[in-house]
Amino acid sequence: MSKTLTKEEVNISELIDRPWITIVWDDPVNLMTYVTHVFIKLFGFSKERAQELMMQVHNEGRAVVSTGTREEMERDVQRLHEHGLWATLQRDDKI
Amino acid sequence: MSSFEKVGEGYSLDLTLDEAHILINLVEQLLELLGEGDFFHHYDSNDPLAQLLAMPSEIVTPDDPVLLRLLPNAYADPEAASDFRRYTEPQLRGSKQKNLRLVREELTILVDENHGGVIEELNADVWLKALNDLRIALSVRLEIDENSFDKFEMLPDEDPQKPVYAVYFWLGWLQENLLGLLL
Repeated sequence: MSKTLTKEEVNISELIDRPWITIVWDDPVNLMTYVTHVFIKLFGFSKERAQELMMQVHNEGRAVVSTGTREEMERDVQRLHEHGLWATLQRDDKI
Repeated sequence: MSSFEKVGEGYSLDLTLDEAHILINLVEQLLELLGEGDFFHHYDSNDPLAQLLAMPSEIVTPDDPVLLRLLPNAYADPEAASDFRRYTEPQLRGSKQKNLRLVREELTILVDENHGGVIEELNADVWLKALNDLRIALSVRLEIDENSFDKFEMLPDEDPQKPVYAVYFWLGWLQENLLGLLL
């Protein structure tokens, strides 16, 4: 049996391994300090990392705040929604 | 002006009676919008007919823009969003109602006794989330964007939206005040 993977097998493996991501979107309402506070509380980020991500949301319109399995990202999105942040999950589109 | 204070390990909020009235009115309106009427039910919940009527209706994407912003879609794909909503929306709705109910209980004491005063040992986390949901609700109705503060400043005093903007900015000030104590 050949040890090299066929093209089809490679694609399937990428599809399985590709993680899911949680994205927080910018909105004109949530206070910058509040978004920072929520990031620290939910993800355990340092204040510096939380502020960096908050600024990315503010300046670029979105930021990836967590990566993992679909179930983990669904839980993160739900917790962000409980805090009033606008979040969605999707498969990571970077290959 | 009213403000939160850190007292030992806890937090308190000093409110005038007018401020307590504004807050409790908003809280009750949002509770109603989230599907919770604050009224006493006059039927026995074990009654089979009551249970039949109380069966939750099908959970669909909300039409009301305030509800859609408070209970947003988790996926861009409509089918995935609708599946996720069916399983999770009751819990999300319930967590928002719970925060608002707790804030309402604390405000009720001031409003019922008809005076301003200090709410002691409040749950800062619950208040932050409730204040945020109230701001989000008002922001959708006021169509808040990056230029809203300038628009508000330019509004003549007799404009009916002016006091609503004032409340919106006041809630933001209160939330920022509490965050300043937490961060």
